[in-house]
Amino acid sequence: MASQRFVYRFFHEISVRGRLLLSQQDAIIEVDNVSKRYGTHPALNGISLEVGSGELIALVGPSGCGKTSLLKILAGFEEPTTGSLRIAGRDMSAIPPALRPTRMVFQKLALFPHKTVAENIGFPLKMAATERSEIASRVAEMMEMMSLRPEYRDRYPAQLSGGEQQRVALARAMISKPEVLLLDEPLSALDAKLKKAMQSEIKHLHRNVGTSFVHVTHDLEEAMMLADRIAVMQSGNILQIGSPAEIYYQPANSFVAGFIGETNFLPVRIERDGERISFSGEVLECTSSDVPATQAAPGLDTGEAMVMVRPEVVRLDTEGDQPGCRVTGTVDELFMKGASIQYQVRIEGLERKFVIETPGTSRPPAGPGDRVTAVFDPNDIWLLPA
Amino acid sequence: MQIRTKRWSSPTLLLTTLPLAALLITFFIVPLAMTGVLSFQGTEYYRLVWTWDLEVWREVFSQFSYWSTMLRTLTMALIAVFLCVVISIPVAYALVHRLAAVQNHVKILIVFAFLTDAVLKSFGWVLFLDRSGVFNGMFALIGFGPVTTDILFEPAATMIGMVYNHLPYTIFTIYLSMSRIDRDLMQAAYDAGASKIRTFFEVTLPLSLPGILAGGVLVFVLSLGVFLEPKVLGGGKAPMAAELIRQTFETRVNWPLGAALTLVLIVIGALTVIAASALLLRLLPKTGEH
Repeated sequence: MASQRFVYRFFHEISVRGRLLLSQQDAIIEVDNVSKRYGTHPALNGISLEVGSGELIALVGPSGCGKTSLLKILAGFEEPTTGSLRIAGRDMSAIPPALRPTRMVFQKLALFPHKTVAENIGFPLKMAATERSEIASRVAEMMEMMSLRPEYRDRYPAQLSGGEQQRVALARAMISKPEVLLLDEPLSALDAKLKKAMQSEIKHLHRNVGTSFVHVTHDLEEAMMLADRIAVMQSGNILQIGSPAEIYYQPANSFVAGFIGETNFLPVRIERDGERISFSGEVLECTSSDVPATQAAPGLDTGEAMVMVRPEVVRLDTEGDQPGCRVTGTVDELFMKGASIQYQVRIEGLERKFVIETPGTSRPPAGPGDRVTAVFDPNDIWLLPA
Repeated sequence: MQIRTKRWSSPTLLLTTLPLAALLITFFIVPLAMTGVLSFQGTEYYRLVWTWDLEVWREVFSQFSYWSTMLRTLTMALIAVFLCVVISIPVAYALVHRLAAVQNHVKILIVFAFLTDAVLKSFGWVLFLDRSGVFNGMFALIGFGPVTTDILFEPAATMIGMVYNHLPYTIFTIYLSMSRIDRDLMQAAYDAGASKIRTFFEVTLPLSLPGILAGGVLVFVLSLGVFLEPKVLGGGKAPMAAELIRQTFETRVNWPLGAALTLVLIVIGALTVIAASALLLRLLPKTGEH
């Protein structure tokens, strides 16, 4: 055991010194062309990703998209089939989880049921052969930071509520001050209210500690709330990496666009002319149908395309005189959501209903069956490949 | 888990527990009481006489040889429990974590060995351990002289038989509690900087204790009652309690004495199990669940 402690200390020393050296350098995680296969089933196809120091990045995608595989590779539970991984400037091949500067918060939390809260939180320090008195003081510090009441020290995880267990899991992961915290959908089992509270706690924690977080979730809304950058994944590929606003308003394709919230797609033909793109479609008529090329997904060229317009930038045109692009249809259903009213409008020639989200009023401007005209500014649209 | 408390006198409770209660009373309480009653009688010319005295108990407490047999039985049983548990833990661990692919095949093999009659298995060991048996033959082949070990008909051979015949109980109980441990807990321990060995002692072993305790009690109780192994493998040189009781009943036809010895064995066994449980319950992982 002594030799192992020595090895641990040795690597710890290196990682501490490495951190000093790296403080000027930005990327803490460098994933380069990583692929992972389980038998013949490919889970990851040549993923490349850089995570900046202190950044909170979210990996988002439907189940089976490879986000958890990528996280397990980062944690060291799995080795990439090909490609390389560097964390804090060190190559991670054949380095076991214990010796990596990463800590993981598990989906089912994985708190040790036979250990008390204090023993759970102090476990990483105990493994690092830290002095007992120091463990005790750092556990107390950590519990205070995670707002866990001191009398919980000697309770067992089963005696705590879901949110408290969550905080114990976070505290256990953070106590040894890792460079990177990996979160594997830890909030997925919580009810909506608790989830919101934990989301703001994670954000708060991230702001306070300056550790890089990699947060895996299938909930893009959660990702948008928490993350500095979001990587949207689908069947082993990263479709798009960008800020929440980029992912929301400038998605790379219709999969990314449709993954969060409601979106309207209108089929159009586009004509690319240098830095300008003009579009025309059967269902919409525009006073000006000419937008800068920065309002289109990169690489989009003359041909079939789609106009994406978010429901909240669309207004109902009651006067019939507002400039912009307009579509006309019949109200199919409306939902009073309180702060807003959602209309679902059936438009001829469109399979999907057109969704409009207008600010809430005490009397809705239109009811089911009414003919309505929806209008939006061409500056608010985004052009996507069909 | 929540256990609902009901009144003893609740009619549904009494009715639903009736079959089990009847079974226990008929086949456990009544025979035990009869044994107790029997131990206060005497014998004359191989016949039972209803004397209602303490003559038999006086003999039990004055004869050292009975107690040395009891003590030997207790020691052998405890050693068997220890060996079974120590052998079963790595086997169960390997079954859960290393041999996942062939797990079912190995389990079937263990069940086959378990279901084979103990007499056959014990005689198999005789052939194996005999002076001219496989064991010595193997060592002779690699140059250890004609007779390396001569343990057949020694207590060691009895122990080998006992451990071999009772091993499946501990393997399966420990396997069951080990396989129920969430794999994430081990990964969490690795992630927190624990080595595999450390993880085993910090996570796997404490969470397997219920299985170890259950298997240990099973093997202990079964070991107290062995008579086959001491006879076949031990050569009858060092009879254990079960053999002593059998002889008292059958050969000496002294039923009251046999009954008294039976009670002594039951009390020793029960006290040991209670003491060991009290000790182990302290070690058992507390989870705060009720």
